[in-house]
Amino acid sequence: MTATVTPIFLKNVASGQAINAELLDAVEQQQLIDWVMHWLPVRDKYLHALKTAQAPAAAWPQSAHWNWVSKVVQIQGLLAHRALCVVCENVTQGMMRIDVAGKRCRIASQKGLDLVYVDYLEIAPWNWEGPYFDPPRYRGVGTVLLRAAIETSLAEGFKGRIGLHSLPQSTIFYERCGLTNCGPDPASQWKLPYFEMTPENTQAFLGKGTRQ
Amino acid sequence: MKFNISKEWCLAAAELEEGTIIGAGDLARNSGPQEFAQLTEAPPDESRIAFGQFITLARRRRQLSVEALAEATEVDIGELLAIEQHDSHFAAEPRTVYQLANYFSVSRPRLMELAGLMRPKNSAVVQEAMKFAARSVSVAELTEQEKVVLEGLVTVLTEQNGR
Repeated sequence: MTATVTPIFLKNVASGQAINAELLDAVEQQQLIDWVMHWLPVRDKYLHALKTAQAPAAAWPQSAHWNWVSKVVQIQGLLAHRALCVVCENVTQGMMRIDVAGKRCRIASQKGLDLVYVDYLEIAPWNWEGPYFDPPRYRGVGTVLLRAAIETSLAEGFKGRIGLHSLPQSTIFYERCGLTNCGPDPASQWKLPYFEMTPENTQAFLGKGTRQ
Repeated sequence: MKFNISKEWCLAAAELEEGTIIGAGDLARNSGPQEFAQLTEAPPDESRIAFGQFITLARRRRQLSVEALAEATEVDIGELLAIEQHDSHFAAEPRTVYQLANYFSVSRPRLMELAGLMRPKNSAVVQEAMKFAARSVSVAELTEQEKVVLEGLVTVLTEQNGR
């Protein structure tokens, strides 16, 4: 499969300038190579920095054990699942896996309606923000991926409805983007907070892109 | 699928990320000290499984039989079979690991770590990758995904100074 490329922009945090990037509607072999060759070394560096500093548990990245090779292999040949990514300066900056057929809305106003469920979303460790990491390189990777999930929902006729389980340390981000926090999901292994985006909030996110 | 996303939107939305941690997925790690230790310090037995997987993948990439590899490295075929069968209780002989490291052109100390003969300094990468590699052992040719994993492992194993 050859990915369709959409030009986008990220913000270079150091310079404050916009930088050209690409949104791909696939995760290909190059992304998995990037994960092994680029993501893991930085992630390990940060893990050891956290350990050395005896950082509190809340500061440790909660996606640090994820294996994107497995996540991508799991959905090969499955039409209901898709993977997307953001590439900048020839290196993968973030990846997302979505399910377009297997989940339904939970919040009362949309209950039972189709949505796009974000299985996994992660950004490259050099884009992480936090006191134990180097300053982030780029901002905008997560919001572009979230928008891609919403656009996919619109294209599927789901009116922009999406759902996801947030990592506990990520809830502020999704609240800023306008998703509704439905609280801890009792069905989730770790009781992760479950979020949904309604059609109304979708329009606000797509139209303004500013803090709610 | 082609998207239409403006520069203005990208930059405005990027500001939403300031000071946040971004991630979604229903398998978040339970961040406790014990789990963290498990992530950064591989138990020796798991390393041995990874060691066996590495030897299997590297041998298959060269399209060698176990017998041919034993002959090329002057290692006992029974020992190679035990290594490749991922017996976590089997400790390879140091000479065997030495010979295999030379043959596959990887760092001897790192392969020693992987084989459980030296205390691992950092085998998290190998373990993560091997979770996938464990899926396929007997297929004659490496799949594209296995090649990716193997290349990553070779990179880790050829680093001389660690990270």
